Amino acid sequence: MHTQDFPQLDSVEIIEQGFESHGYICSRKIATAVFLAFQLRKPVLVEGPPGVGKTELAKTLALLLETPLIRLQCYEGLDEAKALYEWKYGKQLLYTQVLKEKLGDLLQGAQSLAESVAKLHQFGDIFYSEEFLEPRPLLKAMQQEKGAILLIDEVDKSDYEFESLLLEILSDYQISIPEIGTVKARTAPMVFLTSNNTRDISDALKRRCLHLYIPFPTVELEERIVLSRVPGIDEQLRHQLVGFVHSLRELDLKKAPAISETIDWARSLLLLHAEHLEEELVRSTLNVLLKYEEDIEATDSELRALVRNTVADDHAH
Amino acid sequence: MQSNLVDFIQVLRTREVRISPAETLDAVEVARRLGYADRNLLRDGLAMTLAKTPEEEVIFLHCFDRFFQQDLADFSAPDPLDTDPEPDSSAAENASLQAQEFTATQAAALQLAAETNPELASLLQAPLMQNLLSNDRTELTLAMNQAAERVGLQQIQMFTQKGQFTRRILDAMGEEHIRNAVISLERDESPALPVLQRYRDTLREQVRDYVEREYLLHAEGKTRQFMDEILSKTRLNNIEHLYLHKVHELIRKMAKKLASRHSRRRKLLKRGRLDMAKTLRKGIPHDGIMFNTYWRQVRKEKPQILAVCDVSGSVAAYAKFLLLFLYSLQDILPKVRSFAFSSHLGEVSSYFAEHPVEKAIELVNWKYGGATDYGSSLSDFAQLALDDINSNTTVIILGDARNNNGDPKLDIMQGIYQRARQVIWLNPESRRAWGTGDSEMLRYQSACHFSAECNNLKQLERIVDQLLKSSR
Repeated sequence: MHTQDFPQLDSVEIIEQGFESHGYICSRKIATAVFLAFQLRKPVLVEGPPGVGKTELAKTLALLLETPLIRLQCYEGLDEAKALYEWKYGKQLLYTQVLKEKLGDLLQGAQSLAESVAKLHQFGDIFYSEEFLEPRPLLKAMQQEKGAILLIDEVDKSDYEFESLLLEILSDYQISIPEIGTVKARTAPMVFLTSNNTRDISDALKRRCLHLYIPFPTVELEERIVLSRVPGIDEQLRHQLVGFVHSLRELDLKKAPAISETIDWARSLLLLHAEHLEEELVRSTLNVLLKYEEDIEATDSELRALVRNTVADDHAH
Repeated sequence: MQSNLVDFIQVLRTREVRISPAETLDAVEVARRLGYADRNLLRDGLAMTLAKTPEEEVIFLHCFDRFFQQDLADFSAPDPLDTDPEPDSSAAENASLQAQEFTATQAAALQLAAETNPELASLLQAPLMQNLLSNDRTELTLAMNQAAERVGLQQIQMFTQKGQFTRRILDAMGEEHIRNAVISLERDESPALPVLQRYRDTLREQVRDYVEREYLLHAEGKTRQFMDEILSKTRLNNIEHLYLHKVHELIRKMAKKLASRHSRRRKLLKRGRLDMAKTLRKGIPHDGIMFNTYWRQVRKEKPQILAVCDVSGSVAAYAKFLLLFLYSLQDILPKVRSFAFSSHLGEVSSYFAEHPVEKAIELVNWKYGGATDYGSSLSDFAQLALDDINSNTTVIILGDARNNNGDPKLDIMQGIYQRARQVIWLNPESRRAWGTGDSEMLRYQSACHFSAECNNLKQLERIVDQLLKSSR
């Protein structure tokens, strides 16, 4: 991708504004990462707890740049046939059949065996050629004329072998296909890898990437996010619910509520026409925020105090 | 500025943040694109290229703030009027005025004394003293930095060198001159003596602070590396309780490093998903008829580890650390079952899983400690776990093989040896002591794939490495 193609990425501030106009409120750090990824043509490894907007970042960027988003979801056992390319076996099979039928015509006039072999060699070998190549996400991203956003989601779920497969793509934006040769990207895509940190990513992969850690947002930032995603919500309620979610995150929970849960909760409260937080209301909608029965039970006893503190804090402001 | 950045990366490296030359180039590029004007922007940008984990990012931020600290040292002599307890509102405004006045009176006192003391008179002409008198922070900080560079402060390695470097910097700045003048004033019992002494003390204090700061920046990491090295070479039983925590961390670090290499295997089998590509390719010689089918299946091989630890009196000194290692191992590797024995044997995996390390070790010692009987312990082990031992199992035995002249039950050991993928015996005694007295080590050794002397962390690390390599 060339710099002049995308005025949306000219500076960190412009990126911030661009994201905001698409409803993605990002911190300065995230905007810096996008800026550098574009300027240095480096992939970004995005880490952070689930639900803080790692995948959303790539999606929004694709919207902002109006480029296609090509997504590869990783899982255990993902191999090159599903990630890189596959041969069109059916067509290859038909091709051999056709070739067999035409063989007589092709070899007409050949006197000896050596001559027929020589004749056969004159025809190009198209059995392994791009025509029979079925591109999978990674190869597809390389083939895009105007560049693309390539999102390799949850790379920590894939096997170590797959990581090594990625190295060539990430550093040189090219793919080696043994039967054909090296396929270079027409336009280098912007690559985002996300990881939930279920295992350590290898050093080799880390070294090739910019490292962006997205933590849970600050109260301020989260309020802006809720405002942009759930515009109809009352300001006082918004303030209270974000405060409550932040106090929940300080408890020892199996899974702390993330931004996506905050947004879901705000939507539910809006549907229920709530105006401010009350203990009963929180108790009945807590399952939107907390996804484990144990978490809900653990929070239950402290709910009253938590709600009271949040509301009191709010009045103090 | 570029060399500054390289210096900064050097500092990060001493803090165990691993930065490759390629990343250094990236960092320079980042700095070029972002510019040096916005400090926070630069910090975020550099953090992305240099710090690769959240832990490294914490170290990075810490070092960044220290390294690019812009504050100048404060050389103004302590103001005796500061002790004035009255919190007057106009005090703040007056303070600077008073300080100026105060400096002026001090300078005057020194001038007066200089008339009768040639030593002091020549000192007052020296640039160092003049800067001190006028409290010219920029000049003094510059002089201090230059002096530090001349004496090679960046080479500081250990905290014991701090005093030495402070002295050298003071000498390089010309503090000797002040010292001589103080001596001469003392001889004369001049009233200007305390004034000059105060300037001297301030200077010393600032240099000391500076050295301290630089030490924290450059050497703290090195000192820690040094300590780690010493610890991993110390015999396990000599490490004091104080270091228990530290050792645990070291083992964790090591085990984690090893565990990350621990990958699962794939194997081709005669069932599962059809390997279309291969079947087709191999079918081409038969007119495109897929004569032979080729299958592809991913089979995950999960190596299992059974660890058996002797906790009897003869290895008491080591047992704690062997158990500590076992604990860390179980924490980190997926399938580890732990056993402990002296006269009889039992499984302790659940202790390790449920209790914190100190408590678990104590519980195990209390429950299984006593006199050694390898024979009956091996019988117990066979009863408990022999059925679970298969070609994926690695058995680790930690013990000195001193059986109090009892029946060693070698046949059980051989049974384990035949079933398991690998039997490893780690003996805290040195190899020379094997087979002496009641030690059955030489006999047991015949039923082990690998046996080694192991009484310090270095050896342990090597052995675990070997273990993981073979279980790949």
